[in-house]
Amino acid sequence: MKLACFLSGVLIVSGLALAQVPAAKYNPPRMANGKPNLQGIWEARSAAWGDVEAHSASEGIRAGESIIVDPADGKIPYLPAALAQRDENFKNRAKLDPLKKCWMPGVPRITYMPYPFQIFQTTDFMVILYEYVHASRTVHMSGDHLDGIDIWMGDSRGKWDGDTFVVEVTNNDPHTWLDASGNHHSRDMKVVERYTRTAPNVLMYEATITDPKTYSKPWTMRVPLYLHDEKNAQLYEYECNVYREEALSK
Amino acid sequence: MKLMDGGTPVPQPVSRPAFTHGLKAVPLIATLLLTSLAFAQPPGRGRGAPAGPFTRLPDGKPNMQGYWESRNFATAFDVEDHPKEEFGIPAGKGVVVDPADGKIPYQQWANEKRQDILEHHLFDDPQAHCWLSGVPRQMYTPFGFQILQPEGSVVLLYEAFHSFRIIPLDNKPHPSSEIRMFEGDSRGHWEGNTLVVDVANQNGKTWLDMAGNFHSDALHVVERFTPIDANTIRYEATLDDSKVYARPWTMRFDIGRNPNPKYEQMEFACVEGEQDLQHYTESEGAKKK
Amino acid sequence: MKWYQRALVPARGFLCFSFALLCFTGAAFAHHSFAAEYDASKPITIKGKVTKFDWVNPHSWVRIDVTDADGKVTNWSAETAPPNILYRQGWRPTSLKEGDEVIIEGFRAKDSSATMTARTVTTADGKKLLAGSADNGPQGKQ
Repeated sequence: MKLACFLSGVLIVSGLALAQVPAAKYNPPRMANGKPNLQGIWEARSAAWGDVEAHSASEGIRAGESIIVDPADGKIPYLPAALAQRDENFKNRAKLDPLKKCWMPGVPRITYMPYPFQIFQTTDFMVILYEYVHASRTVHMSGDHLDGIDIWMGDSRGKWDGDTFVVEVTNNDPHTWLDASGNHHSRDMKVVERYTRTAPNVLMYEATITDPKTYSKPWTMRVPLYLHDEKNAQLYEYECNVYREEALSK
Repeated sequence: MKLMDGGTPVPQPVSRPAFTHGLKAVPLIATLLLTSLAFAQPPGRGRGAPAGPFTRLPDGKPNMQGYWESRNFATAFDVEDHPKEEFGIPAGKGVVVDPADGKIPYQQWANEKRQDILEHHLFDDPQAHCWLSGVPRQMYTPFGFQILQPEGSVVLLYEAFHSFRIIPLDNKPHPSSEIRMFEGDSRGHWEGNTLVVDVANQNGKTWLDMAGNFHSDALHVVERFTPIDANTIRYEATLDDSKVYARPWTMRFDIGRNPNPKYEQMEFACVEGEQDLQHYTESEGAKKK
Repeated sequence: MKWYQRALVPARGFLCFSFALLCFTGAAFAHHSFAAEYDASKPITIKGKVTKFDWVNPHSWVRIDVTDADGKVTNWSAETAPPNILYRQGWRPTSLKEGDEVIIEGFRAKDSSATMTARTVTTADGKKLLAGSADNGPQGKQ
């Protein structure tokens, strides 16, 4: 009787223990302070730069599925007037896309542009340097958001949540788009990014976007970023305004 | 109040009360002036305690991290001595230390071209077009820069034009010479307490300052960053360009630490809001309107 | 050179960190030539109502409607220091609102458009905001 009780107790406890142990998680390389090392040259392979929603190919744009994971239908939950604005933007995108004027893409668009970027990490800063128009983001790990001004690449304040680096991006300039298809936002947009290294060559990027002036509820995108591990990987330059000016002066 | 040119309407003259208000602001301006003088004192020069020695990173290398700016403000205008104001370049001391006469050793044709740029082509200043500044000009653009030393690299983040330079310390070769960039390609290594940076692959589309000093795509720069104390880095750059200069030459100036413990760099965009070029006139090389 | 010119003309090197309070006056145009665009021999003071305050990099712009003696209204554009400099001085995009009466001192553009660079902006309550756009120009000859 005692043996049976003991054995069943062991089984129950083991069962509980097994139920609670999660599937084996990737243990990333770590900095001296124990935080995951997110450093490296990364780039998305996604077609989201053309349109974050599911879309066919069109001139200069390749087809792709939506990168939106919430809501489940993969569509941005626009308010009615904002949806009309998006459709207007889409119709006139050849002229209205701010990238045509070589303006900085803003967050999150810069993350899935088809150009590499490099993350550098110290105890007090996470710095993300982008090849595209040498866009630059410093993620402060202290201090308050700036007061009442629009910033093209937003104001970023970050902290660790376990092995995920969480960045809150505010002060977003309303002139940026989310992609080349006219998806847009207001200056009230707040982006909460989550960077998690899920494999040696994969940095998973998730961004939850809140903007009560534009969307009926917060929504979330997710796109993997891949490590450039070729021998001489480095950032070069893409100076959009230079080429545009030189072309216009011919 | 002067009349406008060409008989255009005279704006509303300013009435007496406004000037009185202006005079009331003088004590404020005086306070601000004195405060800025207090901020700006370099270490070890009389007022304020001298700076302590520089610290070191865990790997033993000098720790140069923080916010900095060139102490020789005049360099942004002219790297050479400028004895009197002309063409908007204020009088100021230059930073050329070799040759000893303080003049860039231009080839004859280049000397003439430089003067022509200054007199007739300031419209072409790449910085006015929101083009990147290149090396060494980036080191003395206004608004300062941040030095970060993550493992294996030195990263310079400049507030002006949100520029950056990534300086790997890995001894890998420069990219192929067909790949040209405004900021060029930088590779660094430590020699004692000096960070030596080799800069190649510049595209020749940058200037050295606002006084028309220039170079070609043959420019090769070797920089030396040597911390002197906790608040000072001595910066030296040797410029070699066989298409433009008769021989290599060297500039040197000190870089000072920002004393504000709460300082943060901000985004300085350019392309998005540039509205000055439309007002440049033909005499500076702008196109006929 | 007057005492205030010596302090503001950055001929003594280290006196002018651009992140120190007053020195942005030079720094504002140390990324492209002041003299290529503005005439230091043409100081100007204008008074009018703000129509727009463009808070943009690399320079912010105050647009004001100036009414002349004949009642004609001209919209002037006054360029300020970069907004980062203004921000650190305490300016905000809301510091100037549409309709605010202001007096702007500075220098005229060379191209004879209704354009100037602002040294100071004085609001109706008498507060003088430093707008920081004169580098080596003379200090407010009237």
